[in-house]
Amino acid sequence: MRSLRHLRRAAVLPPLVLTLWGWVLVWSSLSSRLDLLLNAAFHPVVAVAGVVLMLVGLIQLRLAGRRRLPVAPLGWLLSAAVALLILLLPPRPSFSDLAASRPDSLPAAPSLSFFLPPEQRTLTEWVRLLRSQPDPELHAGDPVRISGFVLDRPGEPLQLARLTVRCCLADATPAGLPVDWPAEANPQADQWFSIEGTMIVQERNGVPVSVVKPTQMTLIPRPERPLEP
Amino acid sequence: MTRLATAWAIFQGLLIEALPFLMLGVTIAGLARWLVPQSAWVRRLPRNPLLAPIVGALLGFALPACECGNVPVARRLLASGAPLGTGFGFLFAAPVLNPIVLASTWAAFPDKTWLLWARPAGAFVIALALSALLGMIPESRLLQGALLEERRLSQPLSSIGLLERRTGLVGAGPAKPAMPAQSTALLPRELLSHSTREFLSLLTLLVLGSALAAVVQTWLPRSWLLALGSAPTLSVLALMLLALVVSVCSSVDAFLALGFAAQVTPGALLAFLLLGPVVDLKLAGLFTVLLTPRAIAITALSASLMVLLIGQWVNLIQL
Repeated sequence: MRSLRHLRRAAVLPPLVLTLWGWVLVWSSLSSRLDLLLNAAFHPVVAVAGVVLMLVGLIQLRLAGRRRLPVAPLGWLLSAAVALLILLLPPRPSFSDLAASRPDSLPAAPSLSFFLPPEQRTLTEWVRLLRSQPDPELHAGDPVRISGFVLDRPGEPLQLARLTVRCCLADATPAGLPVDWPAEANPQADQWFSIEGTMIVQERNGVPVSVVKPTQMTLIPRPERPLEP
Repeated sequence: MTRLATAWAIFQGLLIEALPFLMLGVTIAGLARWLVPQSAWVRRLPRNPLLAPIVGALLGFALPACECGNVPVARRLLASGAPLGTGFGFLFAAPVLNPIVLASTWAAFPDKTWLLWARPAGAFVIALALSALLGMIPESRLLQGALLEERRLSQPLSSIGLLERRTGLVGAGPAKPAMPAQSTALLPRELLSHSTREFLSLLTLLVLGSALAAVVQTWLPRSWLLALGSAPTLSVLALMLLALVVSVCSSVDAFLALGFAAQVTPGALLAFLLLGPVVDLKLAGLFTVLLTPRAIAITALSASLMVLLIGQWVNLIQL
């Protein structure tokens, strides 16, 4: 207990905790962990903030010496512990679990009124197109080449989906396409697949909808940048 | 276990995204303290109850940050003896009334011109009303202890009530203006050390707030909230709750709102954009360096009530 009290009075404690948090930001940028957490627009901001925090921390560490300060709040030690935990436990979110409780309210791209040829469209672009031109007959027979994770919503058939993130995972919005899974396939939530096939029309709940009919399905590792802007 | 892993990732996302903005806020507060000798300009701010919050709200244009960044700046303002109205006007309106947030709202909703003036106007009205309301509470019951003591140091003794003073001359005339203790600038070394301590204290609160927000949004299905989308009053309430829980920065919340804009009433959309920057779970911790718990509760309740009324009013006109 006494050593804890000593630590809380040491002049090196505040700069040490500051440097540690700076390292958390720098390390998150270097280890491409941010690709899993934030929209790419924020990555440079985080890296710069990390470098600044570390510099300020290191400068003060040099100046600190062996002085004693008033006892530091316990919260600082708590925040240092959280920083260490963040470094030790990288984020492993279940995209399926995250997406299952959120509605498909994909932001419409306001300026996007043209679409690439069918085989070049990403999953998100397909979802946008189907939303602006919902008649399934228009797309029947179009070739499809997409990749995404398996989204398992309770009470619904499995979909292939992607997450769109504007800011951070807190605002992740799913975009999912129904897939006519082959009988021998056994997709599990959160597995990533690359699918080649065609768009067909199927009746689901009495309504005709566009469904992806795979001709080739490959299990792939999670891409390095799994989030869509 | 999967849920826990998801909550852990959301927590990291929220925290890492907010940290640079918190740093920016503390830096601006530190620079203001260093470059401008204490109270020199603060004493020139208008003390009129209407003018003070207006000046505070307009100060937002000088700090293009979101709500986490402006808590340390508002604290600096109040600690240097700025009128309460200016501090609160800045605290509540600046997260919306700043160029970045207005530009992102415009970028997200170029076709909804009414939103482009309704959002800043709503934020302005709410900030004025909250400043007026909080101004009625005596400072000793409104401001957090350490802030109150710092503020007292830069206030003339005569402006402090006799019962609130700990020392003083009874019967001395109020005419003698008390000069602020030392108006010398801080050494860079002291400034760094002071800003570090301030950053670390706010960081602890941000960690707690982000953890709370991550846990609540992992276990509360968002589809429940948006299912209420079309009812005029319930939709406003649902989106207010969503703003409270999601806790994203005001500089990007317009893009998030774009995602469900088509499914909810216009009043609910505006309510989401107005309430988030003033009150949310991530901010709950940060506010404790400014206000007493009771004042935080009053702020949260009255802001929610005003946003609800504005939302309903918009629905009445637009629907």
